[in-house]
Amino acid sequence: MEEATNFNLPKQTHDIFAVMARGAFISSNGSRDGMNRLYDVINNPENFDRLQAYFNVIRYNIERGNNFFYFSKLSEPNSELEKKLERFERYIDIIDLFASMDNKIGVGSRFRPSEIAEECNANVRLKQKLQKIPLYRSETLHNKVREICDLMSRDSYLELEDEKSESYKVLDSYNYLLDVINSVAIYEDNGMNTDDTQGIIYN
Amino acid sequence: MENNCRILNRIVQINIANVKYTDLELSGNTCFVGTNNFGKTSLQRAILFFYSANTRGLGISASQKSFEEHYFKYENSYLIYEIQTESKPFFVIIYRHNKLVFRFVDAEYSPDYFFNENDEAIKIKEVIAGFEKRGMFISQQIDTFERYRNIIYGTETDKLLSKFYILKGNEKYQNIPKSITNVFLSSKSSIDSRFIKDFIANSLTTENSSIKLEQVDRQLRQFNEKYTDIETFLKKDSQQLIEFIEKKYDQVHMLKGAQMEMADKLGSSLRYAETQNEAVYKASQEKQEELDKLTETNENQKILLEEKQKDVREEIGYYDRTIREANKKLKEYKEKNIEQAVEKNTEREKLQVDYNIARREYESLTSNVQSIEMKYSSLIEQLRNDKTAYVNKINSRTSEIFNHYNELQLLQKNEFNKKDAELKQKREDALNDLNAEVTSKQIEFNELKAEEKVIRNTRFYETEIKGLETELADLRAINYKNKSELAIKTNLVQTNQKEWENLEIKLKSSLSNQIQKTNNEIIRVKTEIKAIEEKLNVQHDALYGYLEKNVKDWHNTIGKVVNEELLFRTDLNPTITEDKGLSLYGITLKLDDVKVVSKSIEEYQFEKNERLAIIRDLEESLNQFQTINNEEKMLAADKFGKQLGELKEDLKVLTYSLELADKREKKLLLELEDWRQRASTEIEQSLSGNRQKINIIEEELAVLNKKKNNLLNDFNTQFDKLKVFNDERLTDLKSRQETEISELEVEKKNQVKEYEQKETQLSEEKESNFKAKGVDSKEIKKIDTRIKALQEALKEIDQYSQIVSDYLKDKREIFDKLPDLIQKKEEFVKSANDLSAEIEEISRKYNIKRMELNKQKRAFEEELIDFNNGINYFTKNFRETPVFNKYADIIDRAEPKKTNYSVMDLCTQLLTNDSHFNEEYNAFQRYVNEFAGKFRLENHFNFIIRNDATQGEYERFAQNLRSFINENKIELSIAETATQIGLVTDSIATKVRELSGQKDKIQHIITLIAEDFKKAEFEESKLIEFIKIRLEDSDNKVYKLLKRIQEFREENGLVYNEGLFNTDFATHKNREISNRAVKLLDQLRTAIKEQEQEEIRLQDLFELKFNIKEGLNETGWTHKIDSIGSTGTDILVKAIIYITLLHVFIKESSHRGSTDFKVHCIIDEVGQISAHYLRELLRFAKNRNIMMINGLPNKSGLEAHYKYTYQFRREENNNVRIFPSIVTEIEA
Repeated sequence: MEEATNFNLPKQTHDIFAVMARGAFISSNGSRDGMNRLYDVINNPENFDRLQAYFNVIRYNIERGNNFFYFSKLSEPNSELEKKLERFERYIDIIDLFASMDNKIGVGSRFRPSEIAEECNANVRLKQKLQKIPLYRSETLHNKVREICDLMSRDSYLELEDEKSESYKVLDSYNYLLDVINSVAIYEDNGMNTDDTQGIIYN
Repeated sequence: MENNCRILNRIVQINIANVKYTDLELSGNTCFVGTNNFGKTSLQRAILFFYSANTRGLGISASQKSFEEHYFKYENSYLIYEIQTESKPFFVIIYRHNKLVFRFVDAEYSPDYFFNENDEAIKIKEVIAGFEKRGMFISQQIDTFERYRNIIYGTETDKLLSKFYILKGNEKYQNIPKSITNVFLSSKSSIDSRFIKDFIANSLTTENSSIKLEQVDRQLRQFNEKYTDIETFLKKDSQQLIEFIEKKYDQVHMLKGAQMEMADKLGSSLRYAETQNEAVYKASQEKQEELDKLTETNENQKILLEEKQKDVREEIGYYDRTIREANKKLKEYKEKNIEQAVEKNTEREKLQVDYNIARREYESLTSNVQSIEMKYSSLIEQLRNDKTAYVNKINSRTSEIFNHYNELQLLQKNEFNKKDAELKQKREDALNDLNAEVTSKQIEFNELKAEEKVIRNTRFYETEIKGLETELADLRAINYKNKSELAIKTNLVQTNQKEWENLEIKLKSSLSNQIQKTNNEIIRVKTEIKAIEEKLNVQHDALYGYLEKNVKDWHNTIGKVVNEELLFRTDLNPTITEDKGLSLYGITLKLDDVKVVSKSIEEYQFEKNERLAIIRDLEESLNQFQTINNEEKMLAADKFGKQLGELKEDLKVLTYSLELADKREKKLLLELEDWRQRASTEIEQSLSGNRQKINIIEEELAVLNKKKNNLLNDFNTQFDKLKVFNDERLTDLKSRQETEISELEVEKKNQVKEYEQKETQLSEEKESNFKAKGVDSKEIKKIDTRIKALQEALKEIDQYSQIVSDYLKDKREIFDKLPDLIQKKEEFVKSANDLSAEIEEISRKYNIKRMELNKQKRAFEEELIDFNNGINYFTKNFRETPVFNKYADIIDRAEPKKTNYSVMDLCTQLLTNDSHFNEEYNAFQRYVNEFAGKFRLENHFNFIIRNDATQGEYERFAQNLRSFINENKIELSIAETATQIGLVTDSIATKVRELSGQKDKIQHIITLIAEDFKKAEFEESKLIEFIKIRLEDSDNKVYKLLKRIQEFREENGLVYNEGLFNTDFATHKNREISNRAVKLLDQLRTAIKEQEQEEIRLQDLFELKFNIKEGLNETGWTHKIDSIGSTGTDILVKAIIYITLLHVFIKESSHRGSTDFKVHCIIDEVGQISAHYLRELLRFAKNRNIMMINGLPNKSGLEAHYKYTYQFRREENNNVRIFPSIVTEIEA
């Protein structure tokens, strides 16, 4: 990377780009592929400014979250945003399920899909929540949870820490989901709906 | 057979593999001819085994039967090697006795030793017995391969065995069997430098002399994991999370404690309510009964007293009336001047005596003129009588009128009195009614006042307030104690911390001193080593090398007189000009007693090794020192950390207790204030009710008083009117009486005047008569005047005699008793007052008691209501909640006890607190998860929390974390990791040093090989113009990094790392060094991962390049030469290289003096080589004392170049028969 030398960039720039350009997060508590190291590299103030300047050239902006980083695109078309929102919708139910567990699943939690499935099986309320989650066609609860975990791992909210025991860890990027959920404002329908007052507004 | 050297002369196989018996001579180039799978290779292996005695280095694959299994199937399987020596041959028997064993026999081989008459191989026992019988020497059983090799290669110290050698090897003799093995095992047709490298390296190294990368990777991984864990721990985020966890844990702990306490209270209250319900109800009933009884007793007492009071009042009334009447009479008497009348009455008798005396005087004086006297007296008497009659008549009329009017007046007065009495009665009645009402109101008022007093004196909620006050006092006492304890423990913590810090500083400085000292020493020794190395490096070109090459035994001559420095100077250009013998510039010296100054290369080498050993020792001792230092550190950390941990824990507990106590105190104060407020409110409420009543009564009393006043005014008006009317009437009557009486008095006066005039006339007449008769009329007149005055006085007295008499009677009967009456009345009044007071007191007491009882009853009732409400609330709103389930144990197990809180309040509070607790707990849980999530799943701190962890597990996590912080375990971990990085780099450096230490050997071997190539006599055939070989630095990335680590280690000494992390002790330099070390280790780990190599062997330390020119073809410097020319050429070159290698190794590994031996070079499959080449090759080998053993697939004429040719044939029973082929050898 010739530019890298010009910008005096860290040598991990390529790795950082490779991760974030595919829409994934870099979380401080991620351990696979040296994710925590990459986080430390970006988190270094000197590196951050350089990386930011560098990526801005290619119209990417590094966004800083609570212990995680991700790319946002400068001047993203609205259609893209809408797609993202649509994609996000499925997470509302997932987060709702996770937050309703006996031991709430949050950043740093470690769990196995089988544990979640078992708890859902034993608790009607949770079971309904799990079954309500759309997009999945798995027949057993276990497989459904697996699919959720798989999806979340792909979106870099979870990390498959131990393949043998199928143990997942919740990454710091999970905070992003919570932040988005928390910034959702629900307006009551007063029968005066205009184009501006949708049921759910995403900030 | 050549008799002048040692060589493996013969191999005999008896029942070996598929060969029943074979006896093959091998003392020259030998060729085995046979198609595949006929046993050529097996036989070659059997020959190789003679040299290597290593069943695992024979190229038998894992899938094949082992050497022992395949070769030694029977107990009479023997492999016999006969070795030719300078004198007579000896042979070695190999047989299986559980494992393979060897025996040396000092004799030439003969089949007779092993077969019986029936040509059957006999058992070893019999064989041995045979030898013994024959008186031949047979060695003890040699159990190990190594001992066998020691014997064969001439390093055995046992004199009985030391003669059974094939050659005299030196300490490196192991290279010979290795080389022979390697030549045999190499089957590639292309010449790859890697193979040669392997060959050289394998020949020089043992199996263990490699760097096992798995092991290194494990060490690196362990270090890296620890390093990552510590780094994660030290991160700002993690530290912040630790703070949060600590804080939240305390909160959760506190809340939980409070909840448990409250649950216990709830349980106690519930149990108390359940157990006390009946008792309280009963107590309430009892209070009611007590109250009824009290009221009854009070009523009875009151009635009794009121009756008494009534009697007393009646008495008072009676006395009051009597006194009033007496006073009235007395007043009336006084108005009638009774005192004067009484006084006058007392003079009556004296006046009566005076009158009688005067009467008698008068009569004596008038006795002379009695007739005149009589006449005039009778006339005057008559007149007087008339006058008296008239006066009487008038008086009677006056009296009548007087009486009449008096009667009228009396009537009027009576009427008045009657009306007055009636009015008074009315007034009295009305007043009595009013007074009764007022009195009752007054009593009520007094009662209320008394009640107010009681209320004011009553201490409401006394038990609660006293309880709280006691609790507060206890709490303050404990607080005081805890505060002192806290101060003491804080002091202790500071002292301990200081002590620990001092010890740490001491340990650190002692370690750094030791490091400094050791490093200095190492530097010093290294300098010495460098000096030695310099000498060794330059010795070839220096005077030393020259002397070594050119002057025999120079150490004992020049070595004694030359300056050591001179020996290693390269600029001296020594040349032997003329033979001066043993003289110094022509001067002969007797040097027998002079000490040799110069040293041999071995001595220098020895000195260098000695110094290297010193460095190792120094480092070892430094390591030990560091280990001890670390142990001491750990001991200190253990001792102080534990103490501090415990103390800090105590401090936390104390601080927490104090905080709790503070909160409790505030709470208690608030409660106390609340109870006091409630008490005062209660008083106020009671008082306000009371005051209201008092106000009403006061108003009522005021109204009554007004009414009374009005009534009195009204009555007074009526009285006034009545009195006015009466007075008017009386005045009128009196005036009429007076008018009529005055009229009569005027008439009377006039008439009396008339009578008196007539009497005066008669008296004058009488006087004149007396005078006329000479009677002293003056004296008579005087006496008469006196008599008249006395009569008048008596008359006046008689007029009041009745009143006086009445008065005296009244006085005697009434007035004199008046003081007694007053006293009695007063006594009664007093007694009435006493009774009133008594009634009032009783009433007061009753009220107090009643109020007290009512209060108690009310309290019981309220308690009962509270109980029932509480139990109902608990059942309906609490029992089914998860909060109950959470604390069910505590609630159910609680002892019945009265608490200051109601069940309802406790339930509500528990529910509210639980929601707060849940919030706090969730935050706590979140922090723990987040914190644990920062670490690896199997982090060495054991910061792991399962997803389904219980509350207890989360709390234990926080406790462990707290202990970790308190005991400063991170310091220990850092120290361990710092030691570990030292150990890892040291271990790597040692391994690299050990391995690369052999690089010199390689360099040496390569030099020898290169020289040997040069010496190769290719000129004759001109087949190969030259074979060149050279060493280059390794391209192996892992090795390069390993090397860099070793260099780093050499440069910086042992890395003891205070600078591993950004701790307080880390200096800039330390940090830089540490960062470099960490970075290097990290790079190494990545490289190992990427390279996927299992180990770094000697061959990875260098690159080998060839340059071969065959005819016009020159390969140039290359690693691998696929094809130089034809296949035959390739095989030839390969064989030449092998032979060269073998030759070099044999030369290097055998004793210098030992040249009279030959060994075999076993190269299979040389079928494609041309006869010309083969001849060239065999000659090449022969010149190096190497006999070739080759395999050919079939007879092709090539066999003609070998001394021995053996053919292989498979027989019907699958046995292989090996027999010599009859050929004529064309001498190479």
